[in-house]
Amino acid sequence: MSLIWFVEQPLWYLSATVFVVGVLWRLFALVALGKKEDLSVARGSAGGGAVRAVLLHFIPHGGFFSKTFFHFLAGYAFHLGLFVLLLFAAPHVTFIDERILGVGWTPLPRWAFILTAEIAFAGLIFLWARRISDPVQRQISDADDHAGTWLTFIAMLTGCLALQESNDALRIIHMLSVEVWLIYFPFSRLMHAFTWVLSRGNMGAVFGRRGVTP
Amino acid sequence: MSHRDGIAIMLLNAPRKNVVRLARAGAVFLVAALVICAAATPSLSEGGLAPHLSTNPGPANTLGGQSSADYWRQIRQGQSFTLVNPQMGPPVLVQSEGQDWRIFRNETIKRYGGYLILAMLAATILFAALRGRVRIEGGRSGRTIPRFSQTERTIHWFVAAVFIMLGVSGLVLLFGRTILVPVIGKTAHGALASAMLQGHNLLGPLFIIGILAMAVVYFKDNLPRSADIAWFFKGGPLFKWHVPSWKYNAGEKIWFWSAVIGGIALSGSGILMEFPWLAQNLQQLQLATIVHGIAATIVIGFAVGHIYLGTIGVEGALEGMTQGQVDENWAQEHHHLWADAASDGPSAASETAPAE
Repeated sequence: MSLIWFVEQPLWYLSATVFVVGVLWRLFALVALGKKEDLSVARGSAGGGAVRAVLLHFIPHGGFFSKTFFHFLAGYAFHLGLFVLLLFAAPHVTFIDERILGVGWTPLPRWAFILTAEIAFAGLIFLWARRISDPVQRQISDADDHAGTWLTFIAMLTGCLALQESNDALRIIHMLSVEVWLIYFPFSRLMHAFTWVLSRGNMGAVFGRRGVTP
Repeated sequence: MSHRDGIAIMLLNAPRKNVVRLARAGAVFLVAALVICAAATPSLSEGGLAPHLSTNPGPANTLGGQSSADYWRQIRQGQSFTLVNPQMGPPVLVQSEGQDWRIFRNETIKRYGGYLILAMLAATILFAALRGRVRIEGGRSGRTIPRFSQTERTIHWFVAAVFIMLGVSGLVLLFGRTILVPVIGKTAHGALASAMLQGHNLLGPLFIIGILAMAVVYFKDNLPRSADIAWFFKGGPLFKWHVPSWKYNAGEKIWFWSAVIGGIALSGSGILMEFPWLAQNLQQLQLATIVHGIAATIVIGFAVGHIYLGTIGVEGALEGMTQGQVDENWAQEHHHLWADAASDGPSAASETAPAE
C-alpha cells in the first residue's frame, strides 16, 4: 500500500462520505427543527418572500454599503473565484469525470485559471486581513472561523503549488488538505455554503408573510 | 538554465495572540507538508510511481576527436545565425556575457544577499539582547489614540501576508540548492522548488497591487521632515531616551521607502521574468533577475528588523496595527509630535479600557 493509493482511495472515499453524510444530516436537522405556527393573518406570500430574499440579497441595499464596499467586493471575488476553480480547473474537471460523475466539460484555459486563482486569493487574503484587524470582526471571530479560513486557504494554495503536475508528492499534499477540509466542513461554519439559502429564505418568508419586501 | 530558475524574494512577519497561534498552526502544516514531501517522494520513486532516472550513459565521443578551440572561439566572438523568432534581436549562438550573468546571479547575489539577511538577523538579535524589550516607561495610561485606519491596517496585513509567502518561496528558489539539497535531497528539493515557483508566480501580481496601494495610502506621513534629522543625530532607537518624531520616525520612513522602492523594483523585474516576451532583449531579462535578487534580499533584510520592532521588540506597537489604537503614553514616548497633534484634533483621543 503506497501513500498515494491511501490518499486517493480509502481516505478520499472516507472524507467524501463524511462530507456528504454530514452536510445532509446538518441540513435535515435544521429543517426538522421546524417553526412555530404563525397564527397571524397572512398579508403576503411567505414563499414569495423567501424567494425574493434569496435573490435580492445578492446585492446589498442601504445600510453601510459604502463602508463595506471592499469587503463586499472581496467576498464575491473569493467565493466566485473558488467555485470557478472548483468546477472548471482542468485537473478538477478530469477528476470529476474519472472519479465522481463519469462526465466532464470544457475546462478553463491555463491563463484563465491563473487569473481566477489570483482573484480568489486576493479576496480571501483581503477578508482574512480585515478579520484580524477590524476590532468588531476580531471580537466576533472564533477558532472555527479562523480554522475554516486557513483550511480553505491551504487547500487552495496546495492546489496551486501542484500546478506543474510534475510531482506526486505535491498532489498528495493537495489531496490531503482537501480531505481534511471535507471532513471539517459539516461540523463548522463552512456549512454556510449550504445554510445561507435556508437562513436567508427563512427570514424572507417571515417578512414576506407580513407583506414586507425583505 | 531557464531565466525563471532563479526568481527570488522575501520575508517573515508575525502578529500576536490569535494570529500567533494561527501562524504557528500554519507553520506546523507547512513543516508537515515538507516532511511528507520529503518522505513521500523517495517512496513513490521506489514504488514505481515516479520515473526512475535513466542509467543510459549517452552518446560516446561527444568531445570530438580533435581540438575545437578555433570553432568555439568563433562562436564566443559572436558568430550569428538565423532564428525563427527574431524578437530578441540578432540571434547569437553563445552569449558570452550570459556566463558572467550566471556567475553573478548564482554566486555573488546568493553569497552577499545571504550575508545581508544574516547580518540583519544578527543585528536584530544583538539589539534585542542589548536593549531588551522597549517598554512603555510611563506604563499604560488607559487612554488610547487612533493610529491606523481600517484601510491602512487591511492593506498592511494584505501586503504582509503576500510578502511572507513570496519571501519564503523566493528564498527557497534562491538558496534552496545551497541550503536545502544537503538536508532534504535533490528529489524532495525538486518537488519543493516546483511548488515554490508556481506559488511565487501566482502570488506575485497580488504583491504588485498591494505595494502600490500601500505606497499611496502611507505616502503622506512618510515624507521627510526636519524632525527626522534630529532623530538620526540622537541615535534613533539605540539608546534609552526617546527622540520626538511625527507619525513615523526616520527609521520607519527608511523602511517604508525601502519597501516601496524595493517593491517597485521587484514588481517591474518580476513582470519581465514572468512575461519574458515583454523584454526587448536577453540582457533585459538578465538584468531583471539581478535586480530581483538584490531588491529581494535588501527588502527581506529590512523586514527582519521591522517584524521584530513591530511585534515583540516594542511594547504597545503591534496593537496599533491590530486594533487601530495605541496607548497615549506609548504615543507620547515614541511619537511625541504626532501624539500632541492627534490629541489636539477633534475626537483624536478616546477613553477606552486599557489595551491588552
